[in-house]
Amino acid sequence: MIVPPTPAAVRGSGIRASTGAALLGALIVWVALLGPLIALLAHLTPGAVVSALRQPGAFQPLVVSVLASLIALAVILLLGTPLAYLLARGRLPFPRLWEVGVILPLLTPPLVIGLLLIFMVGPNTAIGVALGHLNLSASDTFLALVVAEVYEAVPYYVLGAAAAFAGVEPELEEAATLLGDGRWRTWRRVTVPLAAPGLATALAITWARAMGAFGAVLIIAYHPFGLPMQIWVTLQETGLSSALPFALVLLLVALPLPVAAYLWSARARRRL
Amino acid sequence: MLVADFEVARREFPVRLAVQAEAGERLAILGPSGAGKTTCLEAMAGLLPLSAGRISLEGRQLSRAAEPGSDVRAGHRGVGLLRQRPGLFPHLTVLENICYPPGASPARARQTASRMGLDGLLDVRPRGLSGGEAQRVALCRTLQTDARLLCLDEPFSSLDSALGIELLELVRRELVEVSAVLVTHQLGEAQAFADRVIVLARGQVLQVAGPRELVLRPNSARVAEMVGYRGFLRCGSQVLAIHPERVHALGRQDGAGGISARVVKVRPEGGRVDAEVEAEGEWIGRFHCRFDEAPELGSTLLFGAPDAPQFSGAEALLD
Repeated sequence: MIVPPTPAAVRGSGIRASTGAALLGALIVWVALLGPLIALLAHLTPGAVVSALRQPGAFQPLVVSVLASLIALAVILLLGTPLAYLLARGRLPFPRLWEVGVILPLLTPPLVIGLLLIFMVGPNTAIGVALGHLNLSASDTFLALVVAEVYEAVPYYVLGAAAAFAGVEPELEEAATLLGDGRWRTWRRVTVPLAAPGLATALAITWARAMGAFGAVLIIAYHPFGLPMQIWVTLQETGLSSALPFALVLLLVALPLPVAAYLWSARARRRL
Repeated sequence: MLVADFEVARREFPVRLAVQAEAGERLAILGPSGAGKTTCLEAMAGLLPLSAGRISLEGRQLSRAAEPGSDVRAGHRGVGLLRQRPGLFPHLTVLENICYPPGASPARARQTASRMGLDGLLDVRPRGLSGGEAQRVALCRTLQTDARLLCLDEPFSSLDSALGIELLELVRRELVEVSAVLVTHQLGEAQAFADRVIVLARGQVLQVAGPRELVLRPNSARVAEMVGYRGFLRCGSQVLAIHPERVHALGRQDGAGGISARVVKVRPEGGRVDAEVEAEGEWIGRFHCRFDEAPELGSTLLFGAPDAPQFSGAEALLD
């Protein structure tokens, strides 16, 4: 005699089927996301990487990119952190207006950001003239590269840091104050340690975005070449096979920090 | 000595408190939710500015509405505040939490922790603690600040009542020559802890009395209701307030000097019978008797309510 399955058993097999489908979907997305990286590694031979990097001046774009990104990161950290904290605590008047200001560079195509930056810091603008008095220029210079990277990367940091600060319960800051800590000590001993995992993730993503900034850079900082610009120019001039080693270098420099920061913050979150 | 005579502006109504406490005296502020109890504590702790009046502790002026710039900052006024959520820092161990106040001595922190039964927990992170343990750690941490006034904002209300009372006993033991103000909406907690109870409703102090006197002699029908009186019976122009635990059966016949009440519930409870009675449609109390003396449901009995407080009819009209 065939015994019909009990409702619980039907539910159980349904759950197993849907879990399996979800796992398959997740696997497809994961492989698809890693696909370009796998393809890059498949097309590169160690010899091609070595010969590309042995060319005269091959390391210069790497040095430029790392230096510009470090400075951009410092500027973003210094200016973005107070903004992120105030946004998280709702202490700014007209908070939506501030949020729109932060999100706008994220929503604007990078090429358009570059065009708009010409109107803001180009040689014929008030800022451009002021910079000229200091013998500086924000057009096709190292400074222009830093400015473009800041604009492309800052929203990622502010939004990530604001989420990290919002996760710190205000009651804990109040407790620190009541125990005798001033504002800075509370910040140092409670707020930052508790927000650190989220801040690390935000910083790592910001680093990757700054290192990979291209659209705005193409418009206002064609020179000096950073790595993305080197990849673009090499691709245009000598083809894909010459550009790929630079792409690998960019990934090797840009990715370890975000990946390490992500792994650390995931571990730190579990400990809290 | 604590001298608090102040008003704090709030959107719904201003909160006013006028009270003095000797060093080591324990006060309780009793009132319903939203009465302004926590506001009083936050003003004393320096988290809220005063709109009028002043607060001083042991001769030192902490807040003065007329000179807001001279207010002593929260955390620097010798006032500790324990809230319902203990506010332990999750990234620090229990010992690190206890030693958190600037200048706290680890040796002294260990001693206090030991007295509070926290010896085995010093290396644990707060997420591994039970609710009662977390509050003991929070108390231990606050004691390291050398506070001269401890404000307790219903810190044990989320724990079961026996544990709450036990922890209040612990607070009483630990505080030597330190004043304390407990905010609670539970009369039992206020009575277990305080030398004097302040009854607060809608930002106004209704009565300040000892824990026994407050129940025996509430000064208004509103206070009577807040301290457990349930029956309000009209006697001419007066209203008699009946406390359900202070009535006793006199007999089964009508007569002078008693309250005629109808039995509305009779049920066995263990080795006795539990009966509830109503008079004039008001539930006035519950009494116990032996099985062979159990009244019949619906029968009328005579009850005594000695020393039941009376209020004038107009004043006694409750919301």
